[in-house]
Amino acid sequence: MAVKVLIVEDNPVARSFLCRVVRESFSDTIVITEAGDLETARRNIALQSGSAGAAPSDPFKLVLVDLELPDGNGMELLNELARYPATKIVTTLYSDDDHLFPALQCGADGYLLKEDRFEVLVEELQKIVRGQPPLSPAIARRLLTHFRHGPGIGGGDSGFTPPMPASGFQSSRPMPLGKGAPLDHERLTPRESEVLTYLSKGFTIKEIASLMGIKWFTVNDHIKSIYKKLNVSSRAEAAVLASKQGLV
Amino acid sequence: MGVTTTGLAGAELPGRDQGSNTAPAAQPSVESAFDSGLFDRGFTGERNLSRWMGWRLRLLVGAALLGCMGLFFLARWLSDPPHIDGTWRPNAQGRLELASTNDPTLKPHLGHALIGIVGADVSVAVADVLTLQRSSRWLISDTDRERHRAMHEQISNALSRQSVKLFFSDGDMVELQLQRRGFAGLGGMFWLLSALGLVLYLVAMVVLLARPTGLNLLYALMALCQTGNLVFIAVESTLELALPVPFPRLDMPLRMSFDLITAASMINAICRHPRQLPGAGWIAVIGWVYVLGLIGSMLWGGLTDSWWWTQGSVSVMGLLMMAMLTWSYRIEPHPFAIVLRRFSVVAVSTWILLTVALAAAAQAPGVQNNIAAIGSMIWYVFLASLLLLVPFLSKSQQIMREFSLLAAISTVATSLDLLFVAVFSFGQFASLTLSLFLSLGVYAGARQWILNQLLGNSMLTTERMFEKLYRIAREVELHPQRTPALLSQLLRELFEPIEVILIDRRSGQTRIVTDGSAMILPMPQLGNEGETDTQAAPGSIVLRFAHRGRRLFTSEDARLADRIVEQLRRAVAFDKAVEQGRSEERARLAQDLHDDIGARLLTLMYKAHSPEMEEYVRHTLQDLKTLTRGLAAPNHRLSHAAGEWKADLTQRLTAAHIELGWTFHFDEDILLSVVQWSALTRVLRELVSNIISHAQARRVDIDFSLENDRVDLTVVDDGIGRNPRAWSHGLGLGGVRKRVKQLGGEVEWRELTRGIGCRVIIRGLSARR
Repeated sequence: MAVKVLIVEDNPVARSFLCRVVRESFSDTIVITEAGDLETARRNIALQSGSAGAAPSDPFKLVLVDLELPDGNGMELLNELARYPATKIVTTLYSDDDHLFPALQCGADGYLLKEDRFEVLVEELQKIVRGQPPLSPAIARRLLTHFRHGPGIGGGDSGFTPPMPASGFQSSRPMPLGKGAPLDHERLTPRESEVLTYLSKGFTIKEIASLMGIKWFTVNDHIKSIYKKLNVSSRAEAAVLASKQGLV
Repeated sequence: MGVTTTGLAGAELPGRDQGSNTAPAAQPSVESAFDSGLFDRGFTGERNLSRWMGWRLRLLVGAALLGCMGLFFLARWLSDPPHIDGTWRPNAQGRLELASTNDPTLKPHLGHALIGIVGADVSVAVADVLTLQRSSRWLISDTDRERHRAMHEQISNALSRQSVKLFFSDGDMVELQLQRRGFAGLGGMFWLLSALGLVLYLVAMVVLLARPTGLNLLYALMALCQTGNLVFIAVESTLELALPVPFPRLDMPLRMSFDLITAASMINAICRHPRQLPGAGWIAVIGWVYVLGLIGSMLWGGLTDSWWWTQGSVSVMGLLMMAMLTWSYRIEPHPFAIVLRRFSVVAVSTWILLTVALAAAAQAPGVQNNIAAIGSMIWYVFLASLLLLVPFLSKSQQIMREFSLLAAISTVATSLDLLFVAVFSFGQFASLTLSLFLSLGVYAGARQWILNQLLGNSMLTTERMFEKLYRIAREVELHPQRTPALLSQLLRELFEPIEVILIDRRSGQTRIVTDGSAMILPMPQLGNEGETDTQAAPGSIVLRFAHRGRRLFTSEDARLADRIVEQLRRAVAFDKAVEQGRSEERARLAQDLHDDIGARLLTLMYKAHSPEMEEYVRHTLQDLKTLTRGLAAPNHRLSHAAGEWKADLTQRLTAAHIELGWTFHFDEDILLSVVQWSALTRVLRELVSNIISHAQARRVDIDFSLENDRVDLTVVDDGIGRNPRAWSHGLGLGGVRKRVKQLGGEVEWRELTRGIGCRVIIRGLSARR
């Protein structure tokens, strides 16, 4: 069965380039839907599933979203697709953490830098789909800060997580879900922190594996877990915020 | 002598901590000083304030009423007895001559000498001018004093009835019907002096009632004694022929006691303030025993030459005071001691001068009379003003400066006057005019010097202060945590205190404590305006002993310090606003560049016709991104930059199947400026790009180290490159040279046994930001 891919990108040249990258990356039959703006993308998803967000019978397996679109920010779409069972990848020209970090908080599974060479992009895309998302040193550093100070500081500019009163200590924070102890999704395991620290210093996964004396796929698991925690914590935070504001 | 209304007994600073300035170890002592200052002001008063202030205030009002009533009754009593309407002066033969009169019956006798008075069954022969001597206090010999007293008593008896007969040297006799004197007849001098006496009395009462401590009691004692002196002088200034009865008898013993008691109180006070001297109790006791013994033996008549005893004792005690103040200053450089010593030098030296002048003029009774009347009056008025000034010393510098000038000029004038009268036997008017003229000349010449002495000539000029202010503002903005150090540095240069101490306690406002020996300045929060509530209180700066302990802090200094802090705050806020504006502008510029040019370059890259073209555009795009990132973020931490460099280079080298050996070492994780960051980023990228494109290397070793502000970067490959001198330095390597030069370093390529080694050395990285 054909693998369905959605590419949301306003620049037609870049769109066709990304199409080439996607086709090159996978051996399966690929059906690519292209969208030039958020509106088209939403229509395509809705057409396909009846209502956006709910799990459709034949969903897109892969969604590439550009951040800067004519009618809005790609992060809006990522938010809407929170429960959509696809691998969501941000394609962007912005490699700085100020742009990427919020996107990852919105549930992106990885990011591709559009100016990378064709081969590099193919390789990166394959890695993400296989579950080896990249983490640049800047993002790793941002993640460390995010988890050290509790969610709310790191993602301050993502649009839906305005900075909470910066108490700085987990014990004195108001407990969002009424539990006594800090929630699991708010904390990194020591191993995960270690991995992040190494990543922030620019080490590759292979180097980290040898430095920590573990297999490289274990390192990879840690990274995936960090991604998930980031996403979950952001989501929980958003939910708390929404309920506070009476939105839910 | 040192008593102020702020109360120093409670707020006495404990011993100075020797040696180190700005020492945290000095905290306890200052804390306690701080405590006691606050304690005195705040807590003891709080509960009992209304009750205590109530009766104190009532007492004060009572005392003031008493003083006014006393003055009124004194004036009434003086103006009541009948008097002869005329003024008298000594003539060339040493006889009493009628100088002026409004009485028509006396008019014909102007310029004639009086030889006798008969009235109320008493006849008095007036042999010389002794009766014109106002005060027996200033008669040197005991016999003269006795004669003076007897003559005054006789004359006032003779004048006690309505009618009196006057005999003149030309044989005439005049019979007069005497009139009451009336308030107006007392003369302006009486009212001026008694007003001064009243003020001094009231100040003494205010000081005593505001805080009834031992020291303040001593102050009140001195002030009351001097009030007594002033009252006597005022009464004696009304002298025409004789004083009313009790005064001639009381004059000598009371006024001598006043002087001696004042001297003893001053010695006692100096023992305890500005610093407790070793053996203070004994010194005070000895002083008091000596003085009381002297007074006692004088009262019971056992003492001959009592004038000499008094003058000598007071002079010796005055010299002792100066010595004690010097000693006190040696122990602790409290500026109060300096000020007091200055005062006592002037007072004691004029006292000695007065004594010597009187003794020297003993042969000329007329001259001596002048000196005794005018010289002693000026001296007492001077002392009274000093006493009045003492409680307000640290309140305003202006008063003190003006007063010092006034004191200096009047001292010079008086001394010259006395000198001319005593030595050159000038007439009174000639000597007064000449001495005034000369002292004004001296004043005009020495004014600048005196002012410099008072202000401290090494004060910062205004320009330099502004320059410093703005430089500090800049530094505070960069390092908010260094605010205390920088601010105390500025204040140190401004006030030249002996000690600058930072304490943790927060004080409400800038205050002068312990009589102006210390100033407490709350630490301003300059760095983070918005978070003042959440921040811990940053404490205060305590400055002690202004101008190397030679000057008192005044409330003007406190205002100046406040204004400086305010200016600093504004300067910092201004700098912040400018910096914020700049960074916003930069961020906007970066955003625009990135969005517009970036998107076009990307399209261009996708459409490139050849891989070289594509690579070139990609390169340009990366440079653009480096540029915009540099614009958006003002500085980058070295360790963060290192992580990104490594990740970036690893990715690119891996894609080219080249192994990377990366060692990175630094002794300090500095903040790289935009220029440094982008230069280093591009140098690294360029060097690696060069290797990827040309060297066909299998491994690249990059070694970066930052030590003592010196950057050592080596990039070594094992490729096929040879003879680097022959390379054409196109855009890439030319760029490397340019960037390294921009950082003030140098770069060289060397041929190794295998491959090329490039070495970049930058000495003094922080020199160019």
